[in-house]
Amino acid sequence: MLLTACSGPLAMTPMLEEAESEFETVSQDSSVLVYAPVALVEAEEELERSRTLWEAKADRTLIDHHAYLAKQKAAIARETANLNKAQVEIERAEPERQRVLIDIRRDQAQRAEQRAEQALEEARHEREEAERARQRAEELAERVNELEAQQTERGLVLTLGDVLFDFDRAELQAGGQRAVAELARFLEEYPERNVMIEGFTDSVGSEEYNQNLSLRRANSVQQALINRGISSSRIGTVGYGVRYPVATNQTESGRQQNRRVEVIISDQSGSIPERRN
Amino acid sequence: MKVLKTALPILLFLTGACASTNPPTQQLTETETVIRQADQIGAGDYAPLEIRKARQKLEQARAAYNKEDYEEAARLAEQSKVDAELAQIKTLSGKAQLAVRELKESIRLLEEELRKRDGEN
Repeated sequence: MLLTACSGPLAMTPMLEEAESEFETVSQDSSVLVYAPVALVEAEEELERSRTLWEAKADRTLIDHHAYLAKQKAAIARETANLNKAQVEIERAEPERQRVLIDIRRDQAQRAEQRAEQALEEARHEREEAERARQRAEELAERVNELEAQQTERGLVLTLGDVLFDFDRAELQAGGQRAVAELARFLEEYPERNVMIEGFTDSVGSEEYNQNLSLRRANSVQQALINRGISSSRIGTVGYGVRYPVATNQTESGRQQNRRVEVIISDQSGSIPERRN
Repeated sequence: MKVLKTALPILLFLTGACASTNPPTQQLTETETVIRQADQIGAGDYAPLEIRKARQKLEQARAAYNKEDYEEAARLAEQSKVDAELAQIKTLSGKAQLAVRELKESIRLLEEELRKRDGEN
């Protein structure tokens, strides 16, 4: 007691001590000096008033009153600094946000451009595909023309006439070989297409003989195609004998038309409709 | 005699009033205004303790006023006002700091979005 009394002034009221300590803390905060200098000075003035009253040994109620005001004003200085600091940060951050937003928009624009480019590229690609398909169709028509095939309801039909075979035999003559070579080239070019080879005869001779001859001639054409590298799985054969005549068997020219081999070329799916009637 | 009986308390009252301060009517009104403003900006959420203290002190100031203790009433009104002022500034500061946090978060998210997109390309 004695020591404290000698070493320093009399003890302050607890409220004044509290105000002193609050002011001390706040005034040491550098951001308060920067962002709330006026509020800090107001707190200091109030604290000074309290101190003066205390030194003058004034009424304690009055000392504490100004000490309380000083304490609250110190707190106001602190909050004012926080407010002003936050507003400065907002002012700084807002342009940054705008900059990022612009970056994002630019990015979106680039993406949109890329998508448009891609769509154009796809459209171009489709056009080229269509053009190729058209050219292929044209080529097919041309090749069919070269084959001298007929467009029928069963598809393309190539007829190998009697003159292309030896008399009463299944072997192909040179002309027949040429026709088969042409057909093999066609089948090489259009690997999705298959063929059905059907043999026919006139009504001269026994039915069994004719049936046999028509099948052998069909098989002979098949063998010629296989020899030229066409897979046997793509070639069907059948002998119909005297059935399905295309002309009368009463005349020599009619019988000659009936002696024939027909090659039916499938559509793109490889299937050939069955012969009707 | 009758006149004296009624005049005396009035006289006493007047002298008493003169000896102390004037009734702090305007100060009370001002304090009420500051408290109302603090309430309006949302001090109830951002500075609930401060606004509560301001209101308590205003009540005490009114009680002192009614007891004609005008000095006490004036002091309490002044303290209530400074409490309410602190509540106001604390509310504004709290809102601004929240805005800063939200702004920074939104920037962070936007930048993250941008980085993610760059990663996709």
